[in-house]
Amino acid sequence: MTKDDVLAALGTVYDPELDEPITALRFVASCEVAASGAVDVRLRLPTPQCAPNFAFLMAADARDAVRSVPGVGAVSVVLEDHYTGAEINAAVASGGGFGDAFPGEVEGELDALRTLFRRKALVARQGRLMAAVQDPAAARLGDLAGPDAGRCRELRRELGIDASDDAPAFVRGDGTPVPVSELPRFARMASLTATSLETNGGVCRSLLQVRYGTEEVAA
Amino acid sequence: MYRKDGKDYFIFDSHLHFWDASPANWVKGQEEYAKGWIECFHAYQGLGPAETHWSIEKFMKYSAEDFEKDVFEDGHVDVCIFQPTYLKEWYADGFNTSEQDAVMAARNPEKSIVNGRFDPRDGDPGLHQLEEDHAKFGLKGVKLYTAEWNSGSRGYKLSDDFAQPYFEKCIELGIKNIHVHKGPTIWPLDKDAFDVSDVDKVATRYQELNFIVEHVGLPRIEDFCFMATQERNVYAGLAVVIGGLMHARPRFFAKVMGELLFWVGEDKMLFGADYAIWEPKWQVEGLVDWDYPDDTFSDYPRLGVDGKKKILGLNAAKLYDVEVPAELRLAGEEPAAREAAQLVES
Repeated sequence: MTKDDVLAALGTVYDPELDEPITALRFVASCEVAASGAVDVRLRLPTPQCAPNFAFLMAADARDAVRSVPGVGAVSVVLEDHYTGAEINAAVASGGGFGDAFPGEVEGELDALRTLFRRKALVARQGRLMAAVQDPAAARLGDLAGPDAGRCRELRRELGIDASDDAPAFVRGDGTPVPVSELPRFARMASLTATSLETNGGVCRSLLQVRYGTEEVAA
Repeated sequence: MYRKDGKDYFIFDSHLHFWDASPANWVKGQEEYAKGWIECFHAYQGLGPAETHWSIEKFMKYSAEDFEKDVFEDGHVDVCIFQPTYLKEWYADGFNTSEQDAVMAARNPEKSIVNGRFDPRDGDPGLHQLEEDHAKFGLKGVKLYTAEWNSGSRGYKLSDDFAQPYFEKCIELGIKNIHVHKGPTIWPLDKDAFDVSDVDKVATRYQELNFIVEHVGLPRIEDFCFMATQERNVYAGLAVVIGGLMHARPRFFAKVMGELLFWVGEDKMLFGADYAIWEPKWQVEGLVDWDYPDDTFSDYPRLGVDGKKKILGLNAAKLYDVEVPAELRLAGEEPAAREAAQLVES
């Protein structure tokens, strides 16, 4: 088990709002692997006041992803410089959920939030893919290629939506196919959703750069 | 007033601040939050042109003279709205209260509008305070920050039952402009704090009120746009959009402007510099000069001189009943021209 294995696992952890891996976003501030197999991961975010629910999801997902790497010993994931960092870190360290971090301040865990943003992410990815497809109504998932198509399949599986090659290529967030008559409006809305996610990603990169002096990476 | 290429623009800045975030104003035991808040704002300033960046010391507390120079002298601003953000859990005298704003506004009364605020979690005393503030400041608008922390609560929604008496009070008092600023927390914390569906509900319910969604719902611009197409009385506040994107991310800025022009339209977009995060000068001048960077944006509506005039001032002037000098109105809106048009039509 090497540091690269751990980083690869962290590369599967997505910022749920931006639908990008936390490694690409440079949210992993450091990753140390000791001879004993103990792993210490530090996460950082663009502002001290990024939303606590998404911050928690990233920290907890990072913990779970690193723990799943064969040969890993004790795992510590710490969110740095965040205004609810103490609450989040304590819950993540003890293996707890969001409700353990903020007792009395939640109605449920974060599954509904995660589903909502996976749906947004799926619509946004389709918005980019659609622009390059001749006949979106007839297109099958197997006709699509490239990173956006790959991520669409992942998101569809996570959402319980048919991800086989002969499934309709373009579906609403709830998995229902988009009727032909609604395709133009759906395309426009999907493109707007893609713009929204990309813009947020741009703002986050800019703020991270200002905060930590990280070098600019192509968005 | 800003003149460029023989065109004159009336500048109505619908969103700026006069704050005190200096350490002397931090609440004991809450220093981490007070410091984090202002450092977060300061990082946003980093998205503007380098020559407009301030030191954190100046950014925490700037003078009345700084304000007047940056906004009125250099910034071309004819009329501005002071938007309060209290944050009294973190700042002893408040981060930026209407009282502080009123002192600043009194120096330039003809150019200044003081907005109020309320926190619906304050119950009856809060309603009474709103009445007092209205009597004192002659409020035409309020700014709400839904992520404010208050006595153990980390936020609220406009659709919460306890918020409704406040909107009814606004209607009764003639406070018709509700600026909504979403932040990272609401109750309960497991919900998306930036969700704007609560604005949709109250905009439908209170047709007498205008809802200006600040920073156009960013980071939920898609939800904001879908909602704004359905609600006659919902407006896009451009604070953060221009300041945060026009310089730092010009292609994203072009896309976001294109989407806003398509979904919301140039009649419902309001300029706001969000000073002191960003100075108005480069934003006003940049928007007047702005066009799409290339023809990959041809799907989006164009923004012409009239549209820029509306966004930079005329739209907000209408919402706040501010009289615009005749020579700065759009040609079709000058009283003489309107009368002539009516004669022709009849």
